[in-house]
Amino acid sequence: MVEPREIILNALKEERRKLLEHEALELIKAYGAPIADAGLAKTPEEAGALAEKMGFPVVLKIVSPDISHKSDVGGVIVGVNSKEEAIEAAKNIIENVSRNVPSARITGILVQKMARKGLEIIIGGLRDNIFGPVVMFGLGGIFVEVLKDVSFRVAPISYEDAYEMMKEIKSAKLLEGYRGQPPVDKKAIADIIIAVAKLLEENPEVDSVDLNPVIAYPDGAVVVDARVILKQ
Amino acid sequence: MVDPNIEALFKPRSIAVVGASRHPGKIGYTILKNIIECGYKGKIYPVNPKADQILGLRAYKSLTEIPDEVDMAIIVVPEPIVLKVAEEAGRKGVKVLVVITSGFSEVGNVEAEKKLVEIAKKYGMRVLGPNIFGIAYTPANLNATFGPKDLRAGPIAFITQSGALGIALMGWTIMEEIGISAIVSMGNMCDIDPVDVSYFLADDPNTRVITIYLEGLKPGQGQRFITEMKKITKKKPVIVIKAGRSKRGAQAAASHTGSLAGSDQIYSAAFKQAGILRALTVEEMFDWARAFAEQPIPRGERTIIITNGGGVGVLATDAAEEYGVELIMPSEQLKEELRKAMPWFGSPKNPVDLTGQAGVENYVKALEIAYESPEVDNIVVLYCRTAILDPRDLARAIIDVVKKHKDKQKPIVAGFVGGYDTYEAMKILNRNGIPAYPSPERAVASLAAMIKYMKYRKKIE
Repeated sequence: MVEPREIILNALKEERRKLLEHEALELIKAYGAPIADAGLAKTPEEAGALAEKMGFPVVLKIVSPDISHKSDVGGVIVGVNSKEEAIEAAKNIIENVSRNVPSARITGILVQKMARKGLEIIIGGLRDNIFGPVVMFGLGGIFVEVLKDVSFRVAPISYEDAYEMMKEIKSAKLLEGYRGQPPVDKKAIADIIIAVAKLLEENPEVDSVDLNPVIAYPDGAVVVDARVILKQ
Repeated sequence: MVDPNIEALFKPRSIAVVGASRHPGKIGYTILKNIIECGYKGKIYPVNPKADQILGLRAYKSLTEIPDEVDMAIIVVPEPIVLKVAEEAGRKGVKVLVVITSGFSEVGNVEAEKKLVEIAKKYGMRVLGPNIFGIAYTPANLNATFGPKDLRAGPIAFITQSGALGIALMGWTIMEEIGISAIVSMGNMCDIDPVDVSYFLADDPNTRVITIYLEGLKPGQGQRFITEMKKITKKKPVIVIKAGRSKRGAQAAASHTGSLAGSDQIYSAAFKQAGILRALTVEEMFDWARAFAEQPIPRGERTIIITNGGGVGVLATDAAEEYGVELIMPSEQLKEELRKAMPWFGSPKNPVDLTGQAGVENYVKALEIAYESPEVDNIVVLYCRTAILDPRDLARAIIDVVKKHKDKQKPIVAGFVGGYDTYEAMKILNRNGIPAYPSPERAVASLAAMIKYMKYRKKIE
């Protein structure tokens, strides 16, 4: 288990404002949020071995301090189903990235277990200059991008606050299940919201946190993608 | 505990007006005149090095020349000498400075404002302002503002971060007959902020509801605002109107006062967490305040609407649904009773329709039943001008019924629609502690605010 402070201090030492994806996932995991199983591979062979250990299907993503839109540069390959495929995919990613962004430093390749289908939500946090740590909740995709259907609370927050945040969004009914789906696990979502609040409160260097998406299920929720920005 | 120096802001035993003027039209003249004419009972000391007498009072060359203790010093002198006066006030033992003078952080003069705070700290004084129109506290007959002087006394406190709007609204409350306990102009909030003022108002027996016009809090002040306002909303309802909701509005607020306005959604969340009710318009804020000012906090959500017109009844029903006000389904027994209050073609369902044929006796009977019924927590009484019922007669009758049932602790709001005589009837109701509005929606919205507050209080208990 990595110390959360260590991850942050290490990034600051290297003058990186954005944590690498595996660091961000580790950090949020250290605060008790369940993450989709992931590991960093340095070589295609390592990627193959990691994938095999994890079980399929997996997704492979480039990890580089110089790339923020990974899929735009061919840095993401999803639906990888065997060790051989994983090795091949890793090679392809390195090739794509080297061709599209020749100057990018490549830290490695993130091998991540693909999360099963569920309800995509977004949980975030930011440091407001008036109120300090603030957390945000919303549904993923068009709900957050187009409709801006999100709710906020100023940290520290209680479980009751977290539940209210879920009730407050206009699309709250989707959390109750639709088209025969059972309702999602709100306690699991609340756990993650509270983890983000705590992370911001305990680490003044953290400027913002984006967990997007988090996949919510009737039994639990899992963070798939995490982005953590440090203060300048 | 309330800081005694903040208490001195509302109940000073003596006031010095530094920069008092003999010339009508000057702020230093108007403030002094307002203090004198509104009947302030403490000592008043005009300070002006060039005058012997102002408005019949002996004038002093400086604060230090005053042969008595000075609780509050109102500073109206030009900005370059404010700091000198503040030093003098500190040496004199003044408790609170009310700095009317502008030209500080609101125009970028941050340095002078910082020094002002340093001087105040050194002597243990508190500072209201700078860049304000003053303070009024009706229970002490204190009107140390350059706004209108004939404020109507009542239980609503109003704290405002905008000067011009604040003064304008002072006049508006007079016209609308809204009873005010205190009006406090916050200005640049270099020291005293809405939380400090609310502390006093929360324990003030003359204040029942606190209203705040807020443009923005200062960086880093948000947490304190939430934690402290939580304590205040436990005691009294607080209604805030936060300007700068739109992105454009937010920019205007930032350049207008020396504080930064944060993202609006975060403010909304913060208000919710602190138990503060957020109004979106000035009208809404005072509508709600009027209800809180005169009526008991609801004990439940179950609401009945009594009307003489179907139209206003339906509009009220729509508003009730929109604002989450629970309308009761009267039991058979209650319906049976209500039938006795109406002609045969009336409706005892909710809204209770007494029909256009309704006279004073029908309303009185229906209200009596609603007050007595254990099924009802809150009452909305609606009236549409009809040829057979003079709204003023109805207003007087309602006042009697409400008085008689004071012990039932059931809030009542009125929505009266009509012309001049209806307007008059509303004034009669408002003067007698029954919040009356010119539309059914505004009546329901005001009751909804009270129910919301009741629910918050129940949640935290």
